[in-house]
Amino acid sequence: MITKTAWKNIWRNKVRSMVVIASVTIGIFAGVFAVGVMDGAIKQRIDSALKNEVSHIQVTHPDFRSNNDLKFYIENSDQVTAALMEVEGVEAIADRKIVIGMANTASKSSGVRINGVNPIDEEKVFSLYNEVYPESGGYFSDNVGSGYAFIGVNLAKSLNIIRYIITGEVLNSLAENGIPDEVIQKLSPFEGKRYKNEKSFKKEMRSVLDPKEEAKYGYVIKDEAQNFSKRARLTLTFLDSNNNQTGGRFRIAGLYDIPNSMYENMEVFITGDELEKLVGFPPDVSHLLAIRISDVDDAGLVAKKIKEIYPGLEVMTWKELQPDLAMMSEMTASMYGVFMVLILAALAFGIVNTMLMVVLERTKELGMLTAIGMNKKKVFRMIMTESVFLSLTGGVVGMIVSKVIIMLTARNGISLAGMEEGFEEMGFSAHIYPEIGPEFFGIVTVLIIITGILSSVYPALKALKLDPAEALRTE
Amino acid sequence: MKVLELKDVHKIYDKTEVEVHAVNGVSIDFIEGEFAAIVGPSGSGKTTLLNMIGGLDKPSTGVIFVDGKNLTKFKSSEIIDFRMRNIGFVFQSYNLIPVLTAKENVEFIMNLQKWPKKDRDRRTMELLEAVGLGDRGNSRPAQLSGGQQQRVAVARALATKPKFILADEPTANLDSASTYNLLDIMEKLNKEENITFIFSTHDARVVKKARRVITLEDGKVVSDITH
Ligand SMILES: Nc1ncnc2c1ncn2[C@@H]1O[C@H](COP(=O)(O)OP(=O)(O)OP(=O)(O)O)[C@@H](O)[C@H]1O
Ligand SMILES: [Mg+2]
Repeated sequence: MITKTAWKNIWRNKVRSMVVIASVTIGIFAGVFAVGVMDGAIKQRIDSALKNEVSHIQVTHPDFRSNNDLKFYIENSDQVTAALMEVEGVEAIADRKIVIGMANTASKSSGVRINGVNPIDEEKVFSLYNEVYPESGGYFSDNVGSGYAFIGVNLAKSLNIIRYIITGEVLNSLAENGIPDEVIQKLSPFEGKRYKNEKSFKKEMRSVLDPKEEAKYGYVIKDEAQNFSKRARLTLTFLDSNNNQTGGRFRIAGLYDIPNSMYENMEVFITGDELEKLVGFPPDVSHLLAIRISDVDDAGLVAKKIKEIYPGLEVMTWKELQPDLAMMSEMTASMYGVFMVLILAALAFGIVNTMLMVVLERTKELGMLTAIGMNKKKVFRMIMTESVFLSLTGGVVGMIVSKVIIMLTARNGISLAGMEEGFEEMGFSAHIYPEIGPEFFGIVTVLIIITGILSSVYPALKALKLDPAEALRTE
Repeated sequence: MKVLELKDVHKIYDKTEVEVHAVNGVSIDFIEGEFAAIVGPSGSGKTTLLNMIGGLDKPSTGVIFVDGKNLTKFKSSEIIDFRMRNIGFVFQSYNLIPVLTAKENVEFIMNLQKWPKKDRDRRTMELLEAVGLGDRGNSRPAQLSGGQQQRVAVARALATKPKFILADEPTANLDSASTYNLLDIMEKLNKEENITFIFSTHDARVVKKARRVITLEDGKVVSDITH
């Protein structure tokens, strides 16, 4: 009865209740959607890092990580790999030989890490082979033969392997992508001109486009104008096992494109056999065994088993290798909780205010109710229920709206156009697929109910303080 | 049988600048089945007296016995419960919860007391019929006339079979026809079901119907006539 009366009571002043409900709806939607975007971005970041960059567990010589010296390798690599494959949970292992060196083109050079890989095993552990930049070629497995390197798009840019040309084709496809005519008009004088690097291209763009246009279309134009020369070559130089300068000339097999520009700039891949020959490694050694396991959550467990078998090797899980990611994945839940609590705290003020008005308006009625025998506990409960209904109605609508919007946006993702570079520098994709777990809605529902209850305490106490005789005398 | 006994009851409001002696030494008894009117000019202390009888307000001095129990000794939490079980109230206005139907208003206290649905429905129907509103159970207060609303309030006051019903100017907002109608119903319930009614009024027409008329002036009983 009290519940029913409370529900009906909130519709006595429809406009006022709707305003409160709408504010809760908007607040909850804003909060939940923001969390969905953050969570989506973080999950994507972690997913991409594990898939492309770190794998789940890495095994190295205990001194390799701190020194990065090529002499700290794992001996009898094949045998170790075979033994580790037997460990429960291990799905695939890729071995890498690693040296630090320089990547050079005619005009530029850049410090890199050269990874000698076994392409077949790599594909079982990493997905980098799948992240090939469009029309830049392919991975080693696409039968490219020897003398090829697989490098990141960003490195290709810094080495001037990617150039910028505005061709007629580029202008056409820009028009198709909805770039306004006047912008294309401004670009057309540059048709056919080549730019060696991003900087000079950007400078030219800036000279004709106004800042607004540049912010809006700059990225698309740059993307379209990028031109990858298939015949590009680069030289990799490094010290061999006798500390002599050595190196080799490589063609580009393809460019990989992941949302982590630092990784792209650093990691260069060639085949392990070639690196072995160039450096003069003894046979059957490797610096890194990257392991993919069947369930990421078991990483700690599997790592422990490996340590037991090879106590002399350094075994690290992805959480130890990338503590920032581990922290992100562990702190998100509480972080989102705090975020929602802040939003709800702000909304609570509106609810408190409304409930105070309710008590004030119904002074006489509350006096009558106490007179006819409704006790304090029940009066308190009625006001509390009204307050919870207000918050919960808004909250449920807000959550439904969020869920629907998240579902819709998750289909194609949200592109934060113009922010790609900033995001990718932090390792995040600017194309975000929001997502949200059902348990989060549970948490939010509980928080909303608590908000409703807490917001009602002060107004309800006010109602309890009413003296029925006085209350009945009020006009 | 005495249902109500007041002994030298005083009420002094001293929170304001001037002290008001609203009720000044009232000693009266009521027996079961009375139909009594408390009359007197505005400010004579009618509402204050009824509120004290109903336990909504405490006397400054003096004692009130309801059914042999000293009301002034009750704790405020006990008094609400006591009120719910023993005293029915009808006020001048704002008697009903506007969002509930007539039927729901009448059942409200029965609900709080967790009566079984069957008993509740039967009692509600019975009472609504007794006040001549058997067919208006699903109307909301706003859809009823002032007189009808007061009749619903009487039905609600009777719901849990109280010892007596206190009505503070129940007809003040009603036209003549509704006033007579409400009084007839109260009289009928009083005679047929032996329910004690104590009501305050300004209205001469209402006074005429009462079998006992207590007149207050400046908080004192100046006459107490039983016809
Ligand atoms: N809470 C209060 N504080 C101070 N004085 C009060 C209070 N309540 C009532 N009074 C005073 O007590 C006196 C009696 O008031 P009461 O309301 O009982 O009179 P009444 O006979 O019911 O009048 P009416 O016919 O206008 O309803 C009046 O002088 C009134 O101003
Ligand atoms: Mg009065």
